[in-house]
Amino acid sequence: MKKSVKKTVIAVMLIVAGVGFLIYKGVSETGVYYLTVNEVIAADPESFNDRGIRVSGKVVEGSTNYNQRDLLLTFTVRDLDDETKTMKVTYTGVVPDAFKPDVEVILEGSYDRESNTFSATTLLAKCPSKYKTEETGEKE
Amino acid sequence: MVNFGNLSQVFAFIFSLASMAFLLTGLMKNDMRFIESGRRSLYGLALFTTLASIALGYLFITDSFQVEYVASYSDRALPMFYKVTAFWAGQKGSLLFWAWVLTVFTAIVVRNTRTDLKSRNTPYIYLVLATTASFFLLLLTSLSNPFALLGFIPKDGQGLNPMLQNPGMIFHPPTLFLGYIGFTIPFAYAVSAMVIGKLDETWLRKTRRWNVLSWVFLTIGIILGGQWAYVELGWGGYWAWDPVENASFIPWLIATAFIHSAIIQERRNIMKVWNMVLIVLTFVSCLFGTYLVRSGVLQSVHDFGATGLGGYFLVFMIVILLGGIYLIAESYNDLRTKHSLESYLSRESTFLFNNVLFLAIAFSTLFGTIFPLISEAVTGNKLTVSQPFFNQVNTPLFLILLLLTGICPLIGWRKASADNLRKNFLVPALAAVIGAIALFIAGIREFYPLTAFSLSIFVIVTIFNEFRGGTMARRRLTGEPVFTAFPRLLYKMRRRYGGYIVHLGVVIIVIGITGSSAYKLETQGTLYKGESIKIGDYELRYDDFRGYRDRNRDIYAATLKVFKNGKPAGTISPERRYYINAEKPTTEVSLRTGLLEDLYVTMPGIGENEEITLKVTVNPLLIWIWIGGFLMVAGGIIAILPNRKKKGVYDEIH
Repeated sequence: MKKSVKKTVIAVMLIVAGVGFLIYKGVSETGVYYLTVNEVIAADPESFNDRGIRVSGKVVEGSTNYNQRDLLLTFTVRDLDDETKTMKVTYTGVVPDAFKPDVEVILEGSYDRESNTFSATTLLAKCPSKYKTEETGEKE
Repeated sequence: MVNFGNLSQVFAFIFSLASMAFLLTGLMKNDMRFIESGRRSLYGLALFTTLASIALGYLFITDSFQVEYVASYSDRALPMFYKVTAFWAGQKGSLLFWAWVLTVFTAIVVRNTRTDLKSRNTPYIYLVLATTASFFLLLLTSLSNPFALLGFIPKDGQGLNPMLQNPGMIFHPPTLFLGYIGFTIPFAYAVSAMVIGKLDETWLRKTRRWNVLSWVFLTIGIILGGQWAYVELGWGGYWAWDPVENASFIPWLIATAFIHSAIIQERRNIMKVWNMVLIVLTFVSCLFGTYLVRSGVLQSVHDFGATGLGGYFLVFMIVILLGGIYLIAESYNDLRTKHSLESYLSRESTFLFNNVLFLAIAFSTLFGTIFPLISEAVTGNKLTVSQPFFNQVNTPLFLILLLLTGICPLIGWRKASADNLRKNFLVPALAAVIGAIALFIAGIREFYPLTAFSLSIFVIVTIFNEFRGGTMARRRLTGEPVFTAFPRLLYKMRRRYGGYIVHLGVVIIVIGITGSSAYKLETQGTLYKGESIKIGDYELRYDDFRGYRDRNRDIYAATLKVFKNGKPAGTISPERRYYINAEKPTTEVSLRTGLLEDLYVTMPGIGENEEITLKVTVNPLLIWIWIGGFLMVAGGIIAILPNRKKKGVYDEIH
């Protein structure tokens, strides 16, 4: 009877260790850096290349150009806090409903320092609608 | 009506506090009169939260926009149906809904326990319930009052978020809440059992129906949420491991583990400590779910903005958690069991592994959800994880769970003999292997889909065997024909067979998820009239475009002719809607659903010359997720059907 309990405990421990390993592997393989525009353009070009980058920033007014036929979107995004820090963004795909000038966007992709361009594979626009802010009236 | 609502809330709060005071006094003085007063106050509490809820509903129906909450979530043009359901569209109304349902549940418990008032644990059950209600009423009467006034009367309200104007959305939040709230009751029973030291399985037996019923509600809530996301959000999927989805999934996982290990305690009188741990974790995770939705600590599609309620919830959760740990530690020696597992090759050990896996998935989901919050603080790295993390970590764990679902009924209790194993495993294992080979030949060769489908065959054959064996045995015994024997068996042994139906539902969901995630096709493009877009066997030709006004929105619709393998297969018509009160348009999905695949079309863009941007997705087998979900819910309900001879559900449910 003791022996079977021991075996069970060992099996449970193995599962726990396995789960720990899965989580560790999951983070190192799927984790991405979450940065500001400022951090992206100021960084050492090598430092973030080991995995994807996610950036949040604001769409600069008047910078948007969308070729609907080819679903090709280019715009300039600026740092949330520092208006002078900007980079260009290219994105191919459907533009989210909430995307428009001066709205906050979250991009995922890679950054090319030479052309100061961020090639985004995903583009999320944070909805600026009242539905979020009305409850407090203070957020933004 | 505003004053009436306010007063009702205040009275409810007074009643909950009074009930706590009476109960505490009664327990200290050992005086039944006080306990009786405390008990009656709970009825008063339920009455006044009901009145407050009626008041809020009335304010919505009558467009009383002087009330801030009503003005924020409704407007004159909103259809009546949605005006009523706007009740729980925001945080304040949700909290009132919580308090209302909790106190009504409490009243049911109070009524069911009216005869065992003398048993020592009953007052403690009342006390836990009254305390929880007091917490919510404290929030409602101070920080988060749904009856708060704007100070002026706006001409119209701000309207309900168009995305919430969907039938699925009407029932998604309340069913989820019903689940969350329902687990308060087993928690209260567990606490009272520990306080008075009556630690046998009585509390589990008495709360079994509450457990399963709450679990059923959580399940419905999660599935409706997925369905709403699928038909309304328009990104082509149903589950994104969004923080709020996770917040509802984590309690579900822990509750599922709890329901399984409760069976073990009932059958074998082991895992007592474990069950206490699980019910405390279930309740805390239910509060965490409510907290996460309503606190704004994490960004998500459900982002409701920061509200300052977070701190209160955090404190309440920590109190519950520490209190639970303290009680379990205090009664640890009495909870420890003399019995233990006899063999790792036994049905109870499959339950044990099932528990470990459910908790592992709950943990990894929690970990991934809060990882962005902790990673920078702990590692200094600005790392974050999203959807791929959850899929990568949880998929293998789910597959092992699926395997266990199949193995469990094949193994006997206590200790299984090798002979018995060989005999039971032969047919299902053979079926799975043959199925795997057939699938491989048919072209399904990736590891996960092939494994998932083969395991599904294994489990389905096992369950089918159980049904067949039971029906045949009954037929031999009673001589009934199959069509009578089967439903009677189902009813007679509904706990067991209800459980199998739930498992069958799970397997079917697995098939749906595997098909729709591994074999999904996706394409997008911009079309002028007359042009076509191709995807898989389908070709869609853009024929017509029109715009018109409908109630509170402008609608633009494109009509596309569908060809499947070159043959006409009807039309679809995706829309964009511009609600008068909303800043951005919404995308209306056009969906052609079938048993084999869904054709899912949205129109994210319209150009000046009526050129349209389309996003087209083909989701194989997706409908089976909803079918499986329905089976899970049906199985859960079957498992708790009342006995015909007894007086009814209410007498059984306590």
